[in-house]
Amino acid sequence: MSKQPVSRRQFLNYTLMGVGGFMAAGMLMPMVRFAIDPVLAEGAAGEFQTTNQKVDELTSTPVRVDFSYEQQDAWYTSEVTETAWVYKDENGEVVALSPICKHLGCTVNWEGDNHKNQFYCPCHGGLYEKNGNNVPGTPPTAPLDKYPTKVKDGFLQLGKPEPQTIA
Amino acid sequence: MHRGKGMKFVGDSRIPAERKPNIPKDYSEYPGKTEAFWPNFLLKEWMVGAVFLVGYLCLTVAHPSPLERVADPTDAGYIPLPDWYFLFLYQLLKYTYASGPYNVIGAFIIPGLAFGALLLAPFIDRGPERRPIKRPFATGFMLLALASVVFLTWESVVNHDWEAAKAQGQIVEGPEIDQNSEGFQIYQENGCINCHGETLTGGAAAPSLVGTGLSPDEIKTIAVEGVGTMPPGQFKGTDEELGKLAEFISTLEAE
Amino acid sequence: MLNKIYDWVDERLDITPLWRDIADHEVPEHVNPGHHFSAFVYCFGGLTFFVTVIQILSGMFLTMYYVPDIKNAWESVYYLQNEVAFGMIVRGMHHWGASLVIVMIFLHTLRVFFQGAYKKPRELNWMVGVLIFFVMLGLGFTGYLLPWDMKALFATKVGIEIAAATPFIGEQLKTLLAGHPDIIGAQTLTRFFAIHVFFLPAALLGLMAAHFIMIRRQGISGPL
Repeated sequence: MSKQPVSRRQFLNYTLMGVGGFMAAGMLMPMVRFAIDPVLAEGAAGEFQTTNQKVDELTSTPVRVDFSYEQQDAWYTSEVTETAWVYKDENGEVVALSPICKHLGCTVNWEGDNHKNQFYCPCHGGLYEKNGNNVPGTPPTAPLDKYPTKVKDGFLQLGKPEPQTIA
Repeated sequence: MHRGKGMKFVGDSRIPAERKPNIPKDYSEYPGKTEAFWPNFLLKEWMVGAVFLVGYLCLTVAHPSPLERVADPTDAGYIPLPDWYFLFLYQLLKYTYASGPYNVIGAFIIPGLAFGALLLAPFIDRGPERRPIKRPFATGFMLLALASVVFLTWESVVNHDWEAAKAQGQIVEGPEIDQNSEGFQIYQENGCINCHGETLTGGAAAPSLVGTGLSPDEIKTIAVEGVGTMPPGQFKGTDEELGKLAEFISTLEAE
Repeated sequence: MLNKIYDWVDERLDITPLWRDIADHEVPEHVNPGHHFSAFVYCFGGLTFFVTVIQILSGMFLTMYYVPDIKNAWESVYYLQNEVAFGMIVRGMHHWGASLVIVMIFLHTLRVFFQGAYKKPRELNWMVGVLIFFVMLGLGFTGYLLPWDMKALFATKVGIEIAAATPFIGEQLKTLLAGHPDIIGAQTLTRFFAIHVFFLPAALLGLMAAHFIMIRRQGISGPL
């Protein structure tokens, strides 16, 4: 016997909690797993969508490339259209930038509103360099997202936009 | 309970400021006929509950809940069946004096009387006696009602063709059907759709038309002369339409 | 620490008597299966409540994926059953629970009836109990339609025809249930969804509260 013997009442209370816990776990475990399934689901990574932009036709001037693909949202399939600004940099590498402004999600334009050699966001006057870097002193705080690119049969393929860091 | 003058309250509330000791009676000190709800009795109840839950979960895992194919209002051949606890009512409505012109009896008066009597049982059975044997009318009527519910449910179960019911509801992977195609239009106009369904996968009254392996000529013959339970003369269009229909059906292949 | 928080709340709200009343009331010997095994018949009410709790919980979780729309209802049920982890189990719990709750409430009703426990002073509690039974049947009926599969649609057609046999107001009742005089379709599904998920559960919770309060007021009926 220890110094504080467990009384009958305490013992019963502990057992009751144990049984209650078992019941709660048995009931809730499947349901909670069910509810958090989207959190645990593996993201469909590395899916590239083909655009109808020929890589050979790209120049150093950014062009607007629209592409659409079927998006499967659980039981609902829909056609989604996305846009990218695509050009070739000095090394001849293809660069595809997301047009979503990092400030509040508006759509930026190449040389919009007479801003030479810059991306311009009409909503709050955000400016980005050609490589996507945000111009200091304008609303955006991060560079434009960049699409991973691939080439297939001469056509450009784009993946999911990723944030880029430019020193 | 302390009332009136001299009581102190928390703030300007009605909650007494004086704390009473909060120690419950220890029933183990009084081995009597009763016991405390918490924790003694509740523990027993929850143990029963835990055993019940395990059985319940086993049932859930062993028998996945059924899901039939998506509802198709055009499939007139489907024989519906309610959940098992409505089967007695469903069966009752099959009898002569509970259906047709007497429908109101089966669908309203009998259930109404039964449920009304159940609801008002305390006012019908008013005697002070509680033992079933001492109140023969209440017990008798309840046993009678119970027996008829069991009987009706049983009748309904044995008279139902469970295999056909299973087949008619199965999820069938049908082909992609172009509902704007000429063949489908003809299929629809001639009423083939009523038995063979919107997806041409058949139903309770007719087989699936997908992947039959029949040639267009064989299909033409069946459409005009019928086959099996399908009566002749179903097709009423022109020969040209018949050709298109046969071509359409013969090209259907399951994915 | 926990005790201090409890004391702080208790001083202001005096919550102790609330749960003391539930915790400390004495349970008589004749309903205690520990004393007489035959007292297991008194478990059916509690098990009904237990399954009801499971039904409410699993139903809440199912609505995370379900849509009450004739185009998507079946698709979403198919998705949650076959694609979502444990979807089979959660839907199974709700499906089988619906049957079990009817079984349990039926046995509970028979126990109370054959023991004559509905007699004075418990008439009101019996009536509330029978109303709970009706609400449960209503939940079963409305829930049957929601997956929007073949048997759901056609069984509901039959059920609504039965409701239409009601004298004088049959046609109105049918339209009220189906949302349309002729079609069992989009409007029926949303209506049944609302009834199944909001109206009947609200009624059920109210009735169950009344049921339990009355039991605490009157105590369990004595032995035969």
